[in-house]
Amino acid sequence: MNLRRFLKLPPSPVENSLQARVFVFLGFVVASVAVAIYGQDYVVPAAGVVVAAIGHVVSYRGRNKRRRLAGQILVAGLVMAALAYFLADSVLAIFGGILPQANFAILYLAAVFAWDYPFGILVALWAICLAGFWMTSHLRRIDAKVAGPIRPLALALAGALALGVIAFVFIPQPTALSPTPLVVSLPSFTSFQGEMENPALPLVQISGDPSGATNSIDLRFRGRLGDAPVMYVRTGAPAYWRGLVFDTYQGGQWTASNRSFVTFQPYIQPRSLPPAPKHNLGTFAQVFRVVRTLPGVISAAYPIQSLYAPVSALRRDAYGTFRTPDVLRPGQTYSVVSYLPNLSPQELQSDPLLPGNPENNPEYLNAQNLSPRAHQLAAHAVAGHTDTEFDQVMALTTYLQTNFRYSLQLGQAPPGLDPVDWFLFDAKIGYCEQFATAETLMLRSLGIPARLATGYSTGDYNPVLNESIVREHDAHAWVEVWFSGHGWVPVDPSPGFAALAATQFPNRWAAAGLASLIPHLSIGAPLAALGSLGILAAIPPAVAIALLVVVVWAWFRTRRWGRGVRAAPGESELLRLYENVQRRLKRRRAPPETPLEYQRAARGGPIEPLLDELTEAVNQGAYAGRWPGSERVRELEKRLR
Amino acid sequence: MALVVAAYVYARWNWRGLRADLGLGGARPGPDSPIEALPEQLLRSGPLPAPLFEGDHADIELRLTTTGSSRGPARLSGSVGGVEVSAATGVVPRAGWVERRTLGPLGRGAIVASNWVLESSDPLGFFRFRRTGANGEVGLVLPRFASLSSSPQARELEASVSAPRSGSGMELFGVREYRPGDPLRRIHWRSSARLGELVVREYEPPGVQTVGIFCDPHPPTREAADQVARLAASEAWDCIRGGGRVVLWAPGLEPSLPSEARSLWALLEWLARYPAPSTAHETMPSVTDAVGVTAGAAAALVEALETVQQRGGRIRAWVVGEAELEIEAPIQRVGLAWPI
Repeated sequence: MNLRRFLKLPPSPVENSLQARVFVFLGFVVASVAVAIYGQDYVVPAAGVVVAAIGHVVSYRGRNKRRRLAGQILVAGLVMAALAYFLADSVLAIFGGILPQANFAILYLAAVFAWDYPFGILVALWAICLAGFWMTSHLRRIDAKVAGPIRPLALALAGALALGVIAFVFIPQPTALSPTPLVVSLPSFTSFQGEMENPALPLVQISGDPSGATNSIDLRFRGRLGDAPVMYVRTGAPAYWRGLVFDTYQGGQWTASNRSFVTFQPYIQPRSLPPAPKHNLGTFAQVFRVVRTLPGVISAAYPIQSLYAPVSALRRDAYGTFRTPDVLRPGQTYSVVSYLPNLSPQELQSDPLLPGNPENNPEYLNAQNLSPRAHQLAAHAVAGHTDTEFDQVMALTTYLQTNFRYSLQLGQAPPGLDPVDWFLFDAKIGYCEQFATAETLMLRSLGIPARLATGYSTGDYNPVLNESIVREHDAHAWVEVWFSGHGWVPVDPSPGFAALAATQFPNRWAAAGLASLIPHLSIGAPLAALGSLGILAAIPPAVAIALLVVVVWAWFRTRRWGRGVRAAPGESELLRLYENVQRRLKRRRAPPETPLEYQRAARGGPIEPLLDELTEAVNQGAYAGRWPGSERVRELEKRLR
Repeated sequence: MALVVAAYVYARWNWRGLRADLGLGGARPGPDSPIEALPEQLLRSGPLPAPLFEGDHADIELRLTTTGSSRGPARLSGSVGGVEVSAATGVVPRAGWVERRTLGPLGRGAIVASNWVLESSDPLGFFRFRRTGANGEVGLVLPRFASLSSSPQARELEASVSAPRSGSGMELFGVREYRPGDPLRRIHWRSSARLGELVVREYEPPGVQTVGIFCDPHPPTREAADQVARLAASEAWDCIRGGGRVVLWAPGLEPSLPSEARSLWALLEWLARYPAPSTAHETMPSVTDAVGVTAGAAAALVEALETVQQRGGRIRAWVVGEAELEIEAPIQRVGLAWPI
């Protein structure tokens, strides 16, 4: 008996609060809607809502009844069963219990990947439910009715919002995250089969074949690249998301000469990878979420410090690119921590051009497929800039960027003519592949090791949200140039791109970043977001219009009050009471009727004495300016009751 | 984080602008309350909002006011008259917020409010602030009383109270404000003109006597003290109603003021606080006759009565309980029951 008393929990006043229960239930409904939308599971959330509703009704009705032991055991059993289901589902269902802690990171993912506005709306609704529960439970605990001063509360909320915005704008945004891999997604247990091949790349993706039978880039073809998002990237800095690298050029095609690879576990720790480059500025994390089927290539900023992908294994090819056993499917995520080396011109100027092949690969200096006149053009382009390797690279890059035009409307190179020659001497227009290929081969002709890198440019980068949306048309090719002191340095010869791209952290002050964001905010992002909302797109404009109407109405009301004469204390209360008395007497005072005439006409009723006093008070106020105090009006009001 | 900061700022703002107040909202007479027998004229000069007697119920108003706009939430808790009371609201309107609690039936004495705490917070309950209030009196519960002589007619009562100085006395006692019922010939026109309001002459009626009601300085129990107070109040009421003056006193205590000898409310207030802490005031007030009310054989009280007797005054005594009073005077014994 004593044990039972000891185990009995004190009654919670919140249990009696219907409003708090309603908020809890609504919060559950919001979460269920989120599960239905994002989990694409409609049965379990709906069933959960029904069960929760029944549970709340039963619980509320029986809150003051004595609970039987069997009922308590049943409820506790249900709670435990739900908890066990949750744990089992979280720990066992996805990874087969191999990596249980990673499963919980999926929950974290739900927040990390709250990319779209509907999810934000759901989170906001859930937060409102939580705040409502806090408020109602707090008021219940102090035994107060559920009410609050609307205006101060609205001001406080607006203040919180403003404070949040100010804090968001002025507090430096973190650009380097913990290197621990946090991101997981549904794992792929497909293993590597056979040797490694280069999968088809977006740049040459014509038939939509993502499986990867192609192992080359052909300059004669270009894929149809639209505006559809390919992946979302949470990143601490803008960068090029590098994929495959090619070193051998022949007849308009790029291939990789070295097919060797090293196999790694899905999580590659920093100690398994090359150390940080010299003059490293720091590290930054990127979280990728794939939204379209992509080749099994880990696109990321290079050089990589650590990597995690939810696959059975990873392979690193001879060029430092990581491959997955299977294609990357929509919903797949992976995280990468990359170094950010200092690749400023001042740094690179100091690197001498040393003879020899980097990494003992002769292909990096192979320019045999470049025509003699292209050789001459390269020499002409760098004439007068031969002091350092960097000067030559920049001279050639500038030459290509200024003398050639970027266009995706490129015709076919005539049969028998090398595409590079056709680009340099005939067409003089091209897209990234033509520029990158020409620069790579021309640099080699100058004795500078270079190779072709492919992947994606940064995409639509939002420095406030540290987010980048990478679309199909962001597929890109550029040059990697070997500098003796800094290794492979990305150089982009395509017009419209920075020659040394994205090699610095964004401004740590988001306020400054906000300015550069304005074009995205004003045109691209809101429209894209609204477009993705569907029918929900009506909500933000409706809220904005409602806010505008409220503000205008409040302004007009304030103006009207400001112009009017402030009522004397007790005046409005007395006149309201006078109106009530007229209603009680079922006879309204006619406009030309004076209070005294009305008093005489309405005599004989049950509240005649009150009417007499009221008439006197109204006359005193209206004609002598002596309005009664609130106490006196309240006293008269009591008598009316 | 911004929400937490905003909640803190709101909680501070809420706390700074809230004021708590405790007051008496009204009284509901209990059965046999003397208030039913008191004339309207007398009640008008009584304590506001209404006199409280033993056995009555009192409406206690817990008031919250704000400086400026509406605020909330807030909670007021403490003890009134020994009863724990609390009230809370989510919003305190600009016009203020009032919550009523009924106490009773009340015992004689002061209704003391103590341990009052005003708690306020932000709506989410993240941050709470409190302010303690000073202890104080909310009201005073007067002793019950009843006429110990035959009940006069209501009209006589009205006359004796409303026009107490209308006798044929010639000695001018002073002036006071005009009260309805005063004869017009008593109006002191010169003073009225000077002061801008009606003033009447107040005369000492001839042959009026000052009765001293001497109470037991150390009643043995609370119940005995209540009964002593009731008897003394009844004696005072009878004396005032008859046109006389009353001085209340207990050996060792401060007597009632001579200027309040005809004020029933002042005398009842003295008795509501009886027995007040001793002030070592041994000087017996000057009276013509005396009535002793005691629950024990207090030597000082007997001595005071005998002194009055030696000076030619008439004395008599009420004894609550079985105490032996060695005095040569009429003695009436009563128990603790009321009415007797």
